[in-house]
This record gives sequence, C-alpha cells and structure tokens, in this order.
Amino acid sequence: MTVQYEDLQPLAERVMKRALELGATEASVATSRGSHVTIQRRERQTEQATEATTQGLVLAITKGDRYTSNSTSDLRPKALDSFIQRCVQTADYIEPDEYRRLPDLDQCGRGISEAALDQDDPAWGRRTATERTDHCAQVEEAILALDLPERISTTAYVADGRSEAVQVLSNGFSDRTAGAFFTVGGQTTVAESDKRPEAGAYYAARHLGDLPDPDLIAADVAERVRRRLGSSPTASGQYSMLVENRMAGRILSILSGPMAGSALHHGRSCLNGRLDTKIASDVLTITDDPTIPRGLGSRPWDGSCLVAKPRTMIENGVLKNYHIGLYYSRKLGVQPTGGGRSNWVVKPGDRSFEDIAKELPKAILVTGFLGGNSNSTTGDFSFGIQGLLLENGEVVQSLSEMNVAGNLLTILDNLVEVANDPWTWSTVRSPAMHFANVQFSGRES
Amino acid sequence: MSPNPSPLTWFQQFGIDEDTLKIVLAEATAQGADDAELYFEHSLSTAVGLSDGVVDRAHTSIDLGMGVRVVVGDQVGYAYTEDLSKDRLLRAARTARAIAHTGHGHGPIAIELNKSRPDFYPVNRSWSDVELSVRVPMIRDWEQRAFAKSDLIEKVQVSMGDADKYVLIARADGTVIADYRPMTFANVTATAKRGEVRESGSYNVAARHDLSYYDPDRQERMVDRAVNYALRALDAEAAPAGEMPVVLAAGSAGVLLHEAIGHGMEADFNRKNISIYASKMGQPVANEHVTVVDDATLAHARGSINVDDEGSPVERTVLVERGVLRSYLHDRISARHYGVNPTGSGRRESFRHPIMPRMRSTYMEPGPHDPEEIVKSVKKGIYCEVFGNGAVQIGAGDFSFYVRHGQLIEDGKLTTPIKDVNLIGNGPDVLEAIQMVGNDLVIDEGGWTCGKDGQGVPVSQGMPTVLVGNLSVGGSKS
Repeated sequence: MTVQYEDLQPLAERVMKRALELGATEASVATSRGSHVTIQRRERQTEQATEATTQGLVLAITKGDRYTSNSTSDLRPKALDSFIQRCVQTADYIEPDEYRRLPDLDQCGRGISEAALDQDDPAWGRRTATERTDHCAQVEEAILALDLPERISTTAYVADGRSEAVQVLSNGFSDRTAGAFFTVGGQTTVAESDKRPEAGAYYAARHLGDLPDPDLIAADVAERVRRRLGSSPTASGQYSMLVENRMAGRILSILSGPMAGSALHHGRSCLNGRLDTKIASDVLTITDDPTIPRGLGSRPWDGSCLVAKPRTMIENGVLKNYHIGLYYSRKLGVQPTGGGRSNWVVKPGDRSFEDIAKELPKAILVTGFLGGNSNSTTGDFSFGIQGLLLENGEVVQSLSEMNVAGNLLTILDNLVEVANDPWTWSTVRSPAMHFANVQFSGRES
Repeated sequence: MSPNPSPLTWFQQFGIDEDTLKIVLAEATAQGADDAELYFEHSLSTAVGLSDGVVDRAHTSIDLGMGVRVVVGDQVGYAYTEDLSKDRLLRAARTARAIAHTGHGHGPIAIELNKSRPDFYPVNRSWSDVELSVRVPMIRDWEQRAFAKSDLIEKVQVSMGDADKYVLIARADGTVIADYRPMTFANVTATAKRGEVRESGSYNVAARHDLSYYDPDRQERMVDRAVNYALRALDAEAAPAGEMPVVLAAGSAGVLLHEAIGHGMEADFNRKNISIYASKMGQPVANEHVTVVDDATLAHARGSINVDDEGSPVERTVLVERGVLRSYLHDRISARHYGVNPTGSGRRESFRHPIMPRMRSTYMEPGPHDPEEIVKSVKKGIYCEVFGNGAVQIGAGDFSFYVRHGQLIEDGKLTTPIKDVNLIGNGPDVLEAIQMVGNDLVIDEGGWTCGKDGQGVPVSQGMPTVLVGNLSVGGSKS
C-alpha cells in the first residue's frame, strides 16, 4: 500500500494557519506518514513479524521570539486543535530567544531534486508478504548451509519501510520528501566451552536491488563468528591499530561531538579555534555529502530547511568546517554549515587493506567495539574492543576483553594510511584505517 | 492518592470501551492463539531547558496508539496503529494474527475489570496539572546556584522533563488492567574553565514521582555534584592501563550488574540458549556475599512498574542468592517455555514495540564489609565513582562500562582524580572476582535507560561499595 501525499500537505497548512491565528509569530509544521515491516526467522520458522503504519506531526513556533517545539501522534481534529492551543500557550512561559527565528526564505530549499536523490524505490510498493518471508528464509538457509562447528542458534531478519513527509514554514517554504529503506542481516551463536560467541552482519540500502545476495551475507556472518572463536586479551601496550572499514565510523564518531555547533558554543569542544589548522595527518580527507544518490544519510535540506550541500570537513588533515546548524550559527556569528552529519565520505587511499596489513610485523585489527565513550571537551576516548592480533597480515590470535584509549587529536595525527576499500552500507563511508602507536589495555605482560 | 484511572475511564475519551476491547481481541484471536493482548498507551510529556542564562526552549509531546500481539508457541505477530478508530484497530488485529495459524482457539472473551493491585508510585498530582510557570523558576534557581558555587564555572545548562503515561492492557483471557506511570527527569551540566582548560560535569535524577520529589536536599545535591565533577576534572589525570584491583563506589556502579549479569539473565536469551548463563541455573557464579536482585517494587524508582506491559503482576526477583544463580527474568513466552510463573519482566518501550524480558531496578544486596576497609585493602588500583554507559555481548559474556570520574588508590588511600576510562571484563569471571561487598547499598537516583534490540526502557540500579580483584582498565597511561 502506498500512502499518498494529498492529505499531509493540507493538514500541515491547516495547522500552521491555526497556530498563526492563535498568536504564533512564526510556525514550522512537519507532517509524516509511514509504513514498515520486520520479519525475523529462527529455527526455520518466523519468530516475529511486525507491521505498522505510523503518523505524526511536529509543530514549532515562536511567539515574540519565545520558542516551543511540540509533537503529537493524535491527529483527531478536536485533539489537534487543543494541541495547537497548548503549544501557543506554552510559549508564554518561555523567555525570548531571537536566535530561534525561522531562516529567510531564500536560505531554504532543496540541494538536490527528489529524482536525483533516488530514495523512493518503487519496489517497496510491490513487495509482498511472501517475498519478505522468502527473502528472510533465503538468508537463514544460506547461513545454515555453511559449516560452523557447534552452532547453537541462527537468526535472520529483513525489514523495510517507506515514509513520506511534508514540511511547511510560515516564511513561505513548503516541500515534501519520500523515501524507502531496506535492511537485511543475520546472527549466529556457537558453543565454545562455557562461552557462546556470537557475531552478525547487517546491511541497509535505499533500494531493494542494492542489498547483497544471501550467500554473501551468510559468508560474512560465518567469517565474523569464526573470528570470535578462542578469543582472549593480549598484553597491554602500544600497537599499530588497523580498524576494519565498517568499524572506522566508530573512531570517526569521536569527531562528531566536538564538531557540533552546540559543543563549540558551550565551550565543550576540543576543536574550538582549530578551523583551518591541522588536526589530523595528511592522509585524512572527509566530505559531508547529503546529495549522494541513494545515500543512507542523504537529505534535500538540513534540520532548519536550509539547502543541503556537500562540504569538505577535513582536507589533507586540515579542519575546514564544523557542523553548525542555523541556531548556533547565529549565536556564534558564523555561516551555518549543516546541522549535523549526513553522509561522511572518507577519501580512499591507494592500497588494499591486505597490502597494508602484511607490512606490519605486529598489529591489532579492530573488528568490533564494545561500549566506551569520549569526552568532547578534551577529546579523550576509551572504548572496549574485539579484534585480531596480526603478524605480517596473518592472524595469530582472536582478541577480546581489551580497551583502546587515547586522545582524538593524537590518534588522528597518528593516522598512517587509509585503505582503498570504503564501506558503503553506512552513513560513514570509510575505508579501513591504519594508526600508529595506539594504547591498548589487556592482560598484564 | 494517585491519579490512577479505572481501567477504561482514561481511554474512553478515545472511544475505547468494553465492546471495542472484546471485538478487537476476538479479531486478533479469530484463527487461534496461545496468547494475545492489546496495549493502549497515551503519554503527555513536557521538557523545558535553560542555557546562556535564558529559559529558551520548551518541548511538549503527545503519544497515542495501540499495539496488538498474537502469540503462537514461540512465534509472535505484532502490529500497531496510532489511529484508534475501530477499523484501524481491527486492521492491526488482523495483521498481527496473520502469523497465528496453529494456535489454540479462543472462545468468546469476557472482560474482567478493576483488579486491585499495589501502587509503587502513588502521587498527589499529575504532571499535566503542574504549570510551566512552576518549573521555570526551579531551573533558573539551579543555574544561579551553580554559578554561585565557584568563579571557575563558565557555563551552566539545565533541563527538566516529565511525563504522564497511561496504559491499558486487555488480555485474551479477558483481564483488563490500567496503570498510570508518572516520570520526572532533571539534569544540571556545569562547565568549568581554568586558564585554557575546560571540563564539564553533569548530574541527573529521575523517578516515578510528582513535584514533591524535588525536595531541598535533592536540588542542592544535583547542583553541587555537577559543579564538583566539573572542578575535579580540571585536576584529573589520565587513567592507568591494564589489569588491576577496582573498587566500585556505592550507587551507579550497578551498571556493572546490569551488564555483567542482568542482560544475561533475561530469559529470551536463555530460552534460545544463547546466553552465557543458559546452563548455569542453580550453580555458584559468585562468592557468598553476592546477592543480586531485579526489583519492580522499589517505591518511586525509575525502573518500577505496578504491572508489566503484558499485564502480569510484578515482583522482586532474586537472580543470584548468596552466589548461586536462582532465577531468570521472564515474560509470559519464556515462563511458558520453562513452566514457571512470569516474573513481571515483560516490558516494551512503547506501543510501537513488541514485549521482551527486561530489567527493572537491578542491585546487589549489602554485604558485610566496611566501605573504608575495602579501599584500605587495595595497594594499587582505581576507585570508580561516576558511571556512564555500558554494553554486553550476551553469548561471550564480555561487557564494558564507562567511568566518568574516579580516583587512584595508592597504598589504601584515595589520591589523584582520574576521568573518562572504559572498563572491560567477562561477566562470570568478574562476578567470581568480587572479593568484598560493602554494607552501604545505594540505589542510584540517576535517569538510566536500558537499550535492547532498539528499544529503550527506564531502569534503576544500585550497588554497595564493592572490590573487584582484577579488571581491565582502559586508560591511556601505560
């Protein structure tokens, strides 16, 4: 079933008109509807099937520079009118904040056409319940067909959905978006003495046809489970660190906090004052690109409806941009640069991961993170990891119960090389990375 | 007195009456089912925030919807709708039952109303009755108090939020149960600056309570600790790296229990045989001083529930009794699998989410040791006081948790502040390594949220002072 736009647009306009009638100076209204389905299989039967249609409305207003944002899923006409009245009344209790005003109309708009963004796969509307169940069963069977010793449990899942949204601002801006998503994955647990190591793989795409084949997913799951067998910590110390391409986003995510306008404004950013200075080694170049066709983080405009466009964030190690949305750009007196990360694209290097690894006499390859956190004010971080100890690219030990720790600026400076294998199933499209002299803690040597 | 409605009263405003429940339940079970329920939810939330000296934002939210679950054996069909019109409810029921084709049939459903049960979070006033004009001066006062505590405080941010949540659960056996679930949350973050060095400290509190929760002592504690953590961090050094003895301070160290054993005791993982604790029931897993409880009944705790989200009565569940594994946390599916009673642990984030066994308030009972003696017993190690996020791998049993603030222990004395360090270990190994348990249990008052399979539910946790003989500390100082 395809949900139509027709009633979202008039609904948004009615709510905006009513808010202005009740005394709002400015109003922004977003209306949305969506549908999604999830199928999970285990032991060759459907374990859980979930299906839903959703609806929602977000109303943000200023009333003489007093700002409130409000959301509801109760769209009955009388309830909606009470909701709007409450929103406008709430503003009376808030203190004026001129920075909350809407953007000028000429700042708003699309950075890319709906057609070019290509997020709304027509295959979603044609997909039947049987096809979903069959797809999930194929993934499950492909994993079960692979030779894994002492297998305890295998789970496969598929999910998909489609949503449509309309955005209306009282400055005259009005537009709409629609997009689908598809995910598929699997997980397997095996027995190993007292332990039950588990591993899984997960893929997401905007188009159904872009998902990998079940055999590839199964091989990925099996390989990741095998890597977990016999794991233990190795000695604490400084090592060369290789980070698998799909896990590099976790390291780069340390940058997101201190790059944010809120952190800069509130003095909680270790990158404050570092614009146009070197914060990483020459090999790191990151672009934030919201216009990638079919990109998982792509969007036509940012959270304030400002035109979305690609921006170089780090170029050859030099910090070129922060992520500053409209509100904090006004507070900081700078131009807005997008309110948050869309798709981060890390410029690939020339060599394969294997070529890099085989030159390292000893290195820790990080294949997963377990908890941990970072401090945006100082850049200090500490993460639990799992991985492999490599010698000249050959696996010599599976690793667990270890931490990696350091400081953002130090580790970025110690980035030696970026591989040529970007992981495209994520909003962070990064190749594998090689860092020198990274502190790991494990067992006592 | 609690603004706790009779089972149907609150939802009558949305057209939900006894007939509607019967018709929708009959539709959900028309092809047979071993179990089924309808879960209606209506929540009204408000949050207000202050930064740069201005109470500059308020957010209100209304969430309304119904989730319907149909269970056949271990199979679950689930659907939800945000539109409570009868045709949408029936459509959701038909969608959920699509999975059910081999279950037992249900006859006509008789509705049984008004079951009496205890109330673990009675309140005098719902949050909807508290004007924003009451909240605004409170957060303004916290900000000013924070600035007054030190000239080094450069920025203060304060937020306060609350919710009135009403739930109605109609079960296939005809039982209808309602619950009113209040929640309040507040946070103070202070940033201190000395020279060019900046550090931040935060403190938050949360409870199922009304406005009277914010007594003078609690308000002072929130402000004082946020400022204190920021100032202490200015003097903190990098934490050491490697294995060493670790003393966990009483309170939020309960995150260790939550990750090291709590998740592993959720019965869905054990029913599937994928938890490291799946074959350890009745076996010793820790020393005799260790008794671990998951409790839905603590007065006003954030993790407390009067009834679980599938309508089962709740309880205080002993997971580990004097070192021996005693019970999993069960929802109705796992209880049926194991042939035991549910422990009232079936929870969900909202009507949009299926039920799973989840923790409520997880803590360790006090032990015999004096907290000061515990610290004195350590020659070289770390003392962990303020905790952040945690994570676990259910099968391998490996878990980690993040320590925001702590101190070095040198020759039995607390010395230099440390901060921002991750600790990692293996659940059963760490339980075995707990050598001393203090007599000073503290249930942490912080606003903890537990994540599992993409769902977040409010929880509480607590701990006495504890010595773990050996744990891997992820500092950057080699």
